[in-house]
Amino acid sequence: MTHSLHREGTINSLERDYALFIYPARGFNYKGSGPKVRRIMELLYLEAPVNMIASTLRRNLYSGVRPEEVLEGIKDGARIFCAFNNREKLKAALSGIKKLDEGISVVVSGLIDRVRGLAAEIGLNPYTINLSLGIHGRTDRLPPADIRQFTTMCGHGMVAPALVQDVIRKVKKGRLDLWEGSIILAAPCTCGIYNPHRSQEMLNDLVPLYTVNRW
Amino acid sequence: MIIRQETCVGCGRCHPYCPTQAIHFQDLKSAVDQEVCYECGCCLRAEICPVKAIEDSPHVYDYPRALRKYFSDPDATHALTGIQGRGTEESKSNDVTLRVGPGEVGIAIEVGRPNIGMDLTNIQKITRALARAGIHEIEPNNPFQDMIRDHSTGDLKPELMGERVLSAIIEILIQRDRLRHVLRTIKEVAREVDSVFCLDVYTMLQPGLTIPPEVLEIIESEGFSWRPNAKINLGLGRAWERKSA
Repeated sequence: MTHSLHREGTINSLERDYALFIYPARGFNYKGSGPKVRRIMELLYLEAPVNMIASTLRRNLYSGVRPEEVLEGIKDGARIFCAFNNREKLKAALSGIKKLDEGISVVVSGLIDRVRGLAAEIGLNPYTINLSLGIHGRTDRLPPADIRQFTTMCGHGMVAPALVQDVIRKVKKGRLDLWEGSIILAAPCTCGIYNPHRSQEMLNDLVPLYTVNRW
Repeated sequence: MIIRQETCVGCGRCHPYCPTQAIHFQDLKSAVDQEVCYECGCCLRAEICPVKAIEDSPHVYDYPRALRKYFSDPDATHALTGIQGRGTEESKSNDVTLRVGPGEVGIAIEVGRPNIGMDLTNIQKITRALARAGIHEIEPNNPFQDMIRDHSTGDLKPELMGERVLSAIIEILIQRDRLRHVLRTIKEVAREVDSVFCLDVYTMLQPGLTIPPEVLEIIESEGFSWRPNAKINLGLGRAWERKSA
């Protein structure tokens, strides 16, 4: 499960954070989905998501992979995972996907009110919702909430809390700038929905609040 | 994962990449604690090692250790579901599969997320509590199914106890009138779990992205709240094959 509904952070920050999934269903519209997914991905490239992968080539936008390589790797069953930091770009992407009418499932993760507004403007009728009822159990063992804002942006938990702290330390020491730090944090996320623009903003807010110790 | 000691230069660059902090210094070299490692492969994919000392353990696909890989490495494809990841397609393609229908509710309990991981005794605490409460509607296509030895008791296969994974998901599909009972059971067992879990509820929407009020009422009255962000299927999918095909 891509964990996008459990992204943490302030409402203000989540306003600029949407994950979008294109998802053929095994046994239902899987066969023959390759060319349809490819057309959708070509359209998405034009709307400049801040991160994107195809499941057939799990290399995100910042890995140096060329769009042609990604598009050529798409075959039946390939899924697309991407992130947008701008509502209008997402709206343009969704309008384009609606026009293409390929019949592949499209899922958006984001603030419910914002998605409701988008759907109404485009003329979509959302079908199901997956609500997050939060974290339970030994929550006392969790890393701090400000670190979880970063780690929960990866759909599979691949961004380690220690890496966030390491990047904060390096930015604080002047060894990385905010964007370089964000790209380092985006790299382990092979599901391609880590939003490095949001991460850059969060680093900017967080770096002054941390002190640097010897380690 | 292993770090070849004869090659490692002990620079420590790989340490922060490990989501479970299994990498540590040992005799001035880096080493992986095999008990703690989930086999998620994050350290290897990071390509951070200047001397390429990190590699897959030769035993990574030995049973039962292989479960660590299947439930922790997003690039590993589980043999049961044929898809990458720890769960099913759940709500993402529901407009095509119609898996969660009118009057039904899906529940997902992802044990170990975020950031903590778990040994599988924790997931057994939940499956036993569900079984005791008469909740047996567990998603058959979830890779976690393969761990269960006895559905009537919720017992997992004994050889799995002690194995650690980054997370595993218990997915349940119930009639809406059972939601209160299931949430109450989950709330009670949460006190016993020595890890964390994320809880999801998914349901069909009414026009205008309206969440069925009776679902929200049950969630609220059982002492839960929902986050302002959610995963929403936009209803653009269509089926053109039959499942049986």
